[in-house]
Amino acid sequence: MIATQLLVNAAALGAAYALVAVGFVLVLNATTAVNFAHGETVVAGGFAAVAMASLLPPDISVPGLILLPGVLAVSALLGLAIGALAYLPIRNQPPVSVFVTTIAVGIIIANGLNAGFGAAPRSAPPLIGTGGFEFLGATISRQSLAIIATAAILIAALAWLLQRTQLGRQFRACAQDPEMARALGIQLTRITLMAFALGTAFAGAAGLLLAHQFFVSASDGGVLILKAYIAVVIGGWGSLRGAAAGALLIAIFEVGIAAIASQPVAEGALYITVLLVLFVRPQGLFGEPQQVRA
Amino acid sequence: MMPGTTPTLEVRNVTVRHGGVTAVRNASLTAHAGEITALLGVNGAGKTSLLRGIVGLAATDGEIRLDGSKIGALATEDRINAGIAWVPEGRRVFPGLTVAENLEVASQADITSRRERLAGVVALFPQLAGRLGDRAWQLSGGQQQMLAIGRALMARPRVYLLDEPSLGLSPAVAAILAESLRTLTAEGAAVVLAEQNAGFAQLLAGRRCMLRNGEIVED
Amino acid sequence: MTLRNHIPAAAACSVLIFYATTFASSYDQRLLALSGVYVILVLGYQFIFGHAGALSLAQGSFFGAGAYATGILASRWDLGFLSTLPLSIAIAALLAALVAAPVLRLRTHYFALATLALAQLLLLAAVNWEGLTGGANGLSGVPPVSILGWQAQRGFPLVAVVWAIAGVAMLLARQQMNPARRAAFAIARETPLAAPAFGIDAGLLRFRAFLISAAFGGAAGALFVHTNRVVSPETLGFGVMVTCLTMTVVGGRTRIAGALIGALLLTHMPEWLRGLEAYYLVAMGALLLTMVLFAPDGLAAFLPAPKSQSGPAALPEHAVSATGFAGPPATLDASGLHKAFGGIRALDGLSLTLASGEIVGVIGPNGAGKTTLANALSGIVPPDAGTMHLAGRMISYLAPHDIARAGLTRTFQAPQLPSALEVREIIATARTHAGAQANAPTVEDALAFCGLADMASAPAGTLPHGLRRRVEICRAIVSRPSVLILDEPAAGLTLEEQAEIGTLCRALADAGMAILTIDHNVDFLKPIADRLVCMAEGRILAYGNPDGVLADPAVRAAYFGMDA
Repeated sequence: MIATQLLVNAAALGAAYALVAVGFVLVLNATTAVNFAHGETVVAGGFAAVAMASLLPPDISVPGLILLPGVLAVSALLGLAIGALAYLPIRNQPPVSVFVTTIAVGIIIANGLNAGFGAAPRSAPPLIGTGGFEFLGATISRQSLAIIATAAILIAALAWLLQRTQLGRQFRACAQDPEMARALGIQLTRITLMAFALGTAFAGAAGLLLAHQFFVSASDGGVLILKAYIAVVIGGWGSLRGAAAGALLIAIFEVGIAAIASQPVAEGALYITVLLVLFVRPQGLFGEPQQVRA
Repeated sequence: MMPGTTPTLEVRNVTVRHGGVTAVRNASLTAHAGEITALLGVNGAGKTSLLRGIVGLAATDGEIRLDGSKIGALATEDRINAGIAWVPEGRRVFPGLTVAENLEVASQADITSRRERLAGVVALFPQLAGRLGDRAWQLSGGQQQMLAIGRALMARPRVYLLDEPSLGLSPAVAAILAESLRTLTAEGAAVVLAEQNAGFAQLLAGRRCMLRNGEIVED
Repeated sequence: MTLRNHIPAAAACSVLIFYATTFASSYDQRLLALSGVYVILVLGYQFIFGHAGALSLAQGSFFGAGAYATGILASRWDLGFLSTLPLSIAIAALLAALVAAPVLRLRTHYFALATLALAQLLLLAAVNWEGLTGGANGLSGVPPVSILGWQAQRGFPLVAVVWAIAGVAMLLARQQMNPARRAAFAIARETPLAAPAFGIDAGLLRFRAFLISAAFGGAAGALFVHTNRVVSPETLGFGVMVTCLTMTVVGGRTRIAGALIGALLLTHMPEWLRGLEAYYLVAMGALLLTMVLFAPDGLAAFLPAPKSQSGPAALPEHAVSATGFAGPPATLDASGLHKAFGGIRALDGLSLTLASGEIVGVIGPNGAGKTTLANALSGIVPPDAGTMHLAGRMISYLAPHDIARAGLTRTFQAPQLPSALEVREIIATARTHAGAQANAPTVEDALAFCGLADMASAPAGTLPHGLRRRVEICRAIVSRPSVLILDEPAAGLTLEEQAEIGTLCRALADAGMAILTIDHNVDFLKPIADRLVCMAEGRILAYGNPDGVLADPAVRAAYFGMDA
């Protein structure tokens, strides 16, 4: 049935978006800084997958999933670089400065990829293979399921890290009160860099997940950062759960409205909804309203 | 105290600047192992700024030594890990973390030591025993204060810097607090207690330092 | 303005004209025309990004709106430049006005996101509304600038037209951003908490900056289309926004020279870096990053600063007394004030009366609600319930800058003074915005009264804390208030400095001002306060004669702790 088909598509897209949004919030919580290059890091991850795939023998069909560790590693390194170059040196400047430095990094990444790979959209190998199966009258593709499963596992792993390990506790402590965290001996700089590494790794993974079905091109970054931003605003600034929920909502919205009307209408509707949310309830669905401290 | 013993914490001619204001001028104090040093003065006298300066969260001039070694050039995290614990005014427990998580995150030691110390803290503050799984924001003011001090205990520091720990505590809880501080010193730690409540400090302190308008006026 | 100030600018103009007419090839001339277009765009952006300090990502959209307006009007309806330029400006400004109300309320990242979403919407419309905009291909064959029949062909004529308008834009920018406005913007940007206390309506400032930036952007877009002869969705794309942002950051965010430097440099850089080919844009990104890290104020910061407007201090001939500073006698009546933050009741039904000529001190332990009280009375954090009257007039729902203008001013725990502004500018701004009544004392009188005449030209950031405290009090009284609220004025001051402040307060009160002083320091308050109020947990614990209040056992318990 069409509805099931759409639902699965939306779930897959939403799962990938959730990875992007969650990675975005990780950095946000650690630094209160918006990483404008986040969208480009998704694209970089996709291209990393494309590059690695080209190293594999062409006649053997290799599941894209084996590229995941490599993509995660490369993206983590990229995240460290961004944190070290675009954030740490200016963390005492007003927040606007971080916007500009990360925009700059985004420009570097996008145009570097453009120059290196060319402007044409590229595709990465499917995660576990093509094809699908019938279910309730709809064709469910293996790729969609693989995306959902991979994203779910990664997010679950992150949740475990944050809730069950000492490192995760340190992350959360730094997000809630960085000064007090330092005053307990937690190495704030190290945690900040780790947040960048982890957040960007997730972004890169999303790139791998998206690259087969949706292709990846160097100029995709801008729209992706907007969607991550939107997910986080809808779900509540700083809430990981909210970001994932927001991402899912965006995907459902996109897929649903595109099916009824058209892609441009879906995009337009998304932006209008964002504006409405910002005007009416800027703290999002899960966040706290801002209060001026006495 | 035996003459000639190196004080655990020695602060010499320290000036602390905070937000463009010189909050503390040329202050000196010492804290010895096994003793409680009270830092008295009204609000705004500079007690908090002095403690923040010792920990490295405010710009300072002057000399700060821990067990004889200079720590003035170290970052906050490193001073803490060298053996200082700071319990700021207002407790500042991590609201979204549970009581147990607040305690665990305060120690850099391995998991076995952490569990051991956590048990020790719970023994000292039985009120926390039943609330280990509760988020810290749910605790009462007094319980949060106990949690904040428990956090300091987790690191087994050589010197404790406590900023108005008795603020907002009922007399009964304050008595428990006083008892726990005595236990700490009995185990060999030095305690610096900043208080505007002279009564509480009087119960405990060996030495007294009076801060007035950013300067030490009697010792 | 002396003739000397204009020599560098005149020299630069001559060089440019010489270059344009003799050395430049037709390609160079095109670049020159493009530079002129971007100068206008960046000048506009400086209003919202540089002066108002808000990261707007919509500047490219205003550019695109102007471009499309001119493209459509000129090619479809054959309108001449004298019509298309004003119409393009008007359309861009209208667009800004439409979205301004909701968007400008948002802060930092929310504002950036909203402007980004708007930009994307416009792009979507341009690509898809083929009937109007020509869709993804845009409109080509846009005629050249046509003024009353004369066409500005490519080459020097076009360059001349563009730079003539750029020249007008620069003059306009200078006129709009005179030193007084710059000071007001600096205050709104760097000390937003205190801006209302100066009587500055920061929202209005931001609104005007946004509108002006849109107007300039529209003009730039209109001219761009005439240099390009084609209008396409690219003019609305993120590329223009990035170029604008980069030019502003590289050149300088607030100085007109910065717009010139940024636009000229970055229009010509692609040519110099042509060897890098595809990596040229990577180099641009690297440049942007480097600039923010190492030269956050842009290249214009290396130019000599414009001469300070203020000359040496003119000592007042007459003796300055406190009488000139106290406004019409007024009673402040606060009744039943409630304010809660989350679960905490900062103000719990508090009522207070402050009469003209008296000094009331407010003490209380931390968390008692003292600063919340100051915030509520000054309108910065309006109470949840309760009323406030000043001289019988209800001020409960007034905006904080209106309360300041009505005669209630305040100071802050940490002096809120932009570090780069001179003392005189700070006092003058407060007088202009909050003391619009003709009877307000002159700036020189205020400086003399507060003992600041010698450091009137010093930037506030270079002064020690005690003097900054004095500057803030001077700022609060220059508008001739009836009521003055001081939040911890003695904090961080030496005993002599405290005594000076005390004397000042006493003189002002004797002249009729009502003064409410919050402080921990009882030694400071006791000699000067007529009455003392002790607060605890949002309520008044005791109230009356200072000795009586200090002896009250409840006060001793709450304020001094257990049996002191």
